[in-house]
Amino acid sequence: GACRVSMSMAEIRAGFTAIKADIQSRDPIRTLSILSHPHSLHKLKSSDRCCITHQLFTFYVDKVFKHCRTEDSFVNRKISSIANSFLSARRKLSQCHEQNNCMCGEESREKFKQILANYEGLNVTSAAMKSLGELDILLDWMEKS
Amino acid sequence: SGELYCSLPNPRNVHFESINMKNVLHWSAPEGTGDGVLYKVKYAVYGIGKWIRKPECRNINRTWCDLSSETSDYEEQYYASVKAFLNGTCSDWMETTRFNPLTDTKIDPPMVSVSSTDRSISIILTAPEKWKRSPEEESISLLQVYPGLKYNVSVLNKKTKKRWFFSISNNTLVVPWLEPGTAYCVSAQIHVTTPLLDSAFSKEHCITTLKDK
Amino acid sequence: GDALLPAPQSISILSTNMKHFLTWSPVIVQGATVRYSVEFQGEYEREYTNGSWIPISECSLTTATLCNITEDISATVAYKLRVRAELGATRSQWGTTKGFFSRAMTSLTPPVLRVLADGHHVLVELADMGPSFQFHVLYWKKGQESRVWQKVVKEVSSVVHLDTMEAGAEYCVKAQTHVEAINRSSSFSPTQCVRAQGDTSMWL
Repeated sequence: GACRVSMSMAEIRAGFTAIKADIQSRDPIRTLSILSHPHSLHKLKSSDRCCITHQLFTFYVDKVFKHCRTEDSFVNRKISSIANSFLSARRKLSQCHEQNNCMCGEESREKFKQILANYEGLNVTSAAMKSLGELDILLDWMEKS
Repeated sequence: SGELYCSLPNPRNVHFESINMKNVLHWSAPEGTGDGVLYKVKYAVYGIGKWIRKPECRNINRTWCDLSSETSDYEEQYYASVKAFLNGTCSDWMETTRFNPLTDTKIDPPMVSVSSTDRSISIILTAPEKWKRSPEEESISLLQVYPGLKYNVSVLNKKTKKRWFFSISNNTLVVPWLEPGTAYCVSAQIHVTTPLLDSAFSKEHCITTLKDK
Repeated sequence: GDALLPAPQSISILSTNMKHFLTWSPVIVQGATVRYSVEFQGEYEREYTNGSWIPISECSLTTATLCNITEDISATVAYKLRVRAELGATRSQWGTTKGFFSRAMTSLTPPVLRVLADGHHVLVELADMGPSFQFHVLYWKKGQESRVWQKVVKEVSSVVHLDTMEAGAEYCVKAQTHVEAINRSSSFSPTQCVRAQGDTSMWL
């Protein structure tokens, strides 16, 4: 269904860009991706976009940001900024979901199951830091028309 | 072949330089090494992580390697790595940070073509194309890659020295009601809001409106 | 210990045009320089990290009684701020803002607008107010107030071309700011009118 959510993508992007090098340098594992392998987000049907976006925002809010605390105050502040932006956006997505405008097809359920499996394949901190380092993969996919 | 004992200083500043997604790996020679250093290069798709050697960049003495072909899928992200060799010894592999072609490329200014009548100028802008392997390959405009792409256009009246700015989404702009017999100089820039990417302004294209009939 | 140093009072947030500042009254200790440290807490921190607080390094051990919190209030959720006084090893209790602050509460002022005519063209100059802002510019031909055009201006690098005008006609312009992140707009700037150049062409 149609679900238009206004979200400050530019702000989230700016926050992530400011800490991308730092966060990605804390993830030494090249052989695993949480979001993009084995199946890329880009292969999902457009009808599943809303549902997987809602699931992914819930994933980041519930499982990722809170495990990414670092010793660097600047990084922590940017993570807080992104986390609060995700919380605000997730609330709007949830309203869509409740109005049945964000239906979940089989493909998105499978894809999200895969993402959780990738995440649970690592210890919590590594999985959370890797997921945060892949935020641009999510943003790139969301911004594709 | 077994790895040699690697006591050579490492290549430095290993990074991608990318323009319109022509993605070239660059590095600096190890400190204190003169001529004669050779290099080899490998790359990996993030999430797959299997290192793949680049044959055309094996035992090279230059300090760059074009990996555009290997990194052309901009829905993926990549790492690349360089190792140096000299007089039977070698350095460690030195890696780039994670490279995202979509956000880490630079964009060239648009092509600008201008025509004029006596009292108006017409401007046509063309966004650069994504790098492609060969001229025969299908062209992809960066407009397709970045749906939110816009143009900022500057029009300078050479007589009054006044400069006007326009921000347009489509690639044509007609500026009517100008002064006849007057030179106008046009330059344009590409602006993508998210990811935030701005090209430089193109060089100025000047044209003089026709004399009054 | 902490008890000797009183907590800062009169803690409040001044927020105009998406620039947010925390202010508080100074803690006076004769002959001594009291310093202050500021921390913030967003909704995420309250709901998902047991109400943790995040220090603002630019306002750690500051002697000022003002802290620019703009960079940290960067989502449209409810925030809390707190500040404490420090004198050597002695620290006061935290003084915390009453209620919550959301950037949606910022006050928006009309943009600074300058309207120019250049021949048959009407142009506007708008003061840059930062990346959160775009400008809704309304313009109409004087006497035809019912027929209004609108242009959204995001890039305010310099003189922005608004439109071409009919020869000799007078056009009026006003503008308001709009902040998409909080979906709010300012009131309009005063209206300014300019006259297009009369037509120089002669009918022979």
